Amino acid sequence: MKRIQKFGVILACMTLFIGLLAACSGNNGNEKPSESESPSAGGEENPYSEPMEVSVSFWDVEAEMAKLKDDPIVQEILQKFNITIKPVNTTWDDYGQKIQMWAASGQLPDVFAIDAIGTQYQRKWVEQGVVAPLPDLAKYPNLAQYFEAPDIAGLAVDGKHYTIPRRMFPSVDWSALDRTVYYRWDLAQAAGITKEPETWDEFKAMLDAIVKADPEGKQITGLTAAQVKMLGGLFWLYGNPVATSDGSGADFKWIKEDGKFIPAVFSKNALPALQNMKEMYDNNLIDPDIALTSPDIAYDKFASGKAAAMLSGGGFVNLDLNINTKRWAASYPDKDISETVKVLKPLTGPDGERHHAIFKTYWSESYFSGKIDPKKLDRILALYDYVLSPEGKDLLTYGKEGVDYKVEGDKKVLLSDTPHVEKYPLTGFLRDLVAYETADRYDMNNPAIANEGIRQQAVDYMDWILENTKVPEYDIRLTYLSTPTKDSFTIFDHDDLLNVMLSNDPVEKTWQKIVDGYKSKGLDKMIEEVNAAAAEQGIE
Amino acid sequence: MQSGEKVRTSRNLWKTMLQHKYFYLMVLPVLIWYALFAYGPMYGVTLAFKTFDYSGGIWGSPWIGFEHFQKLWSDADFHTAFKNTIIISLMKLLINFPMPIILAILINEFSRKTAKRFFQTVLTFPHFISWVVLAGIITIILSRDGVVNQVLMVFGFDPISPLTDSDSFRPLLYFTHMWREVGWDSIIYLAALAGINPELYEAAEMDGANRFKRLLHIAWPGMKSTVAILLILHVGQMLTQGASFVQIFNLYSSPVYGVADVVDTYIYRTSFQVGGDFGYMTAVGLIKSVISLVLLVVANTIVKRMGEEGLY
Repeated sequence: MKRIQKFGVILACMTLFIGLLAACSGNNGNEKPSESESPSAGGEENPYSEPMEVSVSFWDVEAEMAKLKDDPIVQEILQKFNITIKPVNTTWDDYGQKIQMWAASGQLPDVFAIDAIGTQYQRKWVEQGVVAPLPDLAKYPNLAQYFEAPDIAGLAVDGKHYTIPRRMFPSVDWSALDRTVYYRWDLAQAAGITKEPETWDEFKAMLDAIVKADPEGKQITGLTAAQVKMLGGLFWLYGNPVATSDGSGADFKWIKEDGKFIPAVFSKNALPALQNMKEMYDNNLIDPDIALTSPDIAYDKFASGKAAAMLSGGGFVNLDLNINTKRWAASYPDKDISETVKVLKPLTGPDGERHHAIFKTYWSESYFSGKIDPKKLDRILALYDYVLSPEGKDLLTYGKEGVDYKVEGDKKVLLSDTPHVEKYPLTGFLRDLVAYETADRYDMNNPAIANEGIRQQAVDYMDWILENTKVPEYDIRLTYLSTPTKDSFTIFDHDDLLNVMLSNDPVEKTWQKIVDGYKSKGLDKMIEEVNAAAAEQGIE
Repeated sequence: MQSGEKVRTSRNLWKTMLQHKYFYLMVLPVLIWYALFAYGPMYGVTLAFKTFDYSGGIWGSPWIGFEHFQKLWSDADFHTAFKNTIIISLMKLLINFPMPIILAILINEFSRKTAKRFFQTVLTFPHFISWVVLAGIITIILSRDGVVNQVLMVFGFDPISPLTDSDSFRPLLYFTHMWREVGWDSIIYLAALAGINPELYEAAEMDGANRFKRLLHIAWPGMKSTVAILLILHVGQMLTQGASFVQIFNLYSSPVYGVADVVDTYIYRTSFQVGGDFGYMTAVGLIKSVISLVLLVVANTIVKRMGEEGLY
């Protein structure tokens, strides 16, 4: 009897352990496409008759794909190409780690989204066959046209493309939208400011007036930011605009100074920009908690009247979505946001020019696993080509003609007041998977910016930018250039800005220490290599 | 003669194992777990001597000898991270190791059970809040309009920002760690104290021993061996758990990297943000593991020389 009891205990232990092991193991059942589940879409002539399951990794793709049942347009498009999407989730916090781990362990999904251009690991992916090269694009005319933009065409490695970047803008002039400053014009007026700021001095005077007057009695702070990595997008504009970078550490741009190419961050113009920023911080014009900021904290602070201004990415689309739609009514139900909040126009810097941040025309890229079946890649590219076509764009943006909109002259008039995103909740995902095409949203016909007041401001702002600002000269080929030292060299200028801002030492001393740190990591060697390579390639 | 003894010993061992086969069988799942998840993946340390190749994986990556280790000596960021790891671990050991012992002794002195339970529960509770949540709370409490600065300003002091100040960040790490773990860590000492025969206390009291003497001559000898074992374990884990990745990662920012970046956070940032070679990062991790092993052996030897039972 005792023996039986002992066996019982042991058996229970073993069962529990095996159960735990089983629970820890992956779900292998999901790995094979369930071809039998999806019926053939047509006869022999249909090029998409064979059903395909495509695993897709994109930010929050699981939550997005859960909306498929409510979106007849995306259902129709996926049926047309006979594709089933298997979501492989990533989040904004973990996508970099997850994808690098999948790449190292050979578990990459068929399609994945990441911003990896210029990084060491992306170069290895290309060299070591982790990502598949794209075939001849003649078969996909819209995609082929997409690759004609100079900074996208420049991504080819030995004549082959390994990625489809997510285009946002037609030119870098539009980068102005990627680092915008929202400010409380109503509070500025209440603090006695009568003119919208156009110079750095006017901007500082406005922030100072709001902080000192504190019109709503909320112990208001000056400028906050959605993310620390955005800081350079504003503060370098004080005379050193080419130094603006996207925070990846790998996209630093080069300028020629004293006859030599150097990363713009190390230009002589850096110091005045840093001094300007430090002066703002020391005079309480910048949020003292800016080092610990995050998007939600910053949106909450700004929308609740605890920050006079906010540096943000995403331009007016973000202002509409994250401030207006999600937060504004809770704090200010009686105030029209388009009258109360303004977006700062690029300020006149010490050189008398108005500069805005400069980025690439795209952000993040689609990659395809090196193990992908060419037939599957062909199907995916066909889908991408369709999404980029005029027909696909109209369908995803406006819906169906006659049902959701009608055409009057060169305008598309919506037939109902229901927001597009409510009727077709997954169209935004499918569009963003291929290309953001943010510029399309800066059009009074486009319903993407729901608040019409903000939409009008957005359109006017972009017109103003295109007329009044100029992108300084730099050669993007130097950013893409590969040399032994440069390939592993990173510049996280936002960390450097933060260190200068919070340091108790004089700006010159802190900056020199930072520059010395970069020198110890091979800055001078990298500059030598890049100048030699530039001379070889005839870049002047 | 010696070989004959060996045969006898192994026979005896086999006999003993057979006699206690059910106990050994119960231990088996644990052994399998260690084999699968602790020893099996150790083949990955070979990467420290290779340059990682995606197409070849860990086995197929080419060998490069000690190249990564040579590079490490000239890597200023690694030096900073290593120095910080040693300082933070050591300080945490010095400050945070004795605290649970003192707390356990204090709690043990309560004569009312309800008071004992109350303090134990209250002090243990923070252990169950994850560092992610805790870091959010600490950030809010210490922000400019947080409760700490509000109170300071009411009394006319200047506001403080310990999360971004190099001088106060490390003390903040020690303090928050203590606040979270002191209650939990004291449980094992309380158990040791509970195991002491109450008659010893009563006899000592009758002999005229005051509280301090009872503590010195009864409580402390009763818990000394537990303290010794835990000290060895703490020393062995001090580079990993002392310089806790999850605590530091959730609290730090670039202004304090100089005093807070430890080996684990350095590996993480370099691997996933900069995109460094996995081989190089494995070399960094391997150095840390080897030092931990040496520390464990040294601590075990010292404790044994002091007359206590060691780990092995």
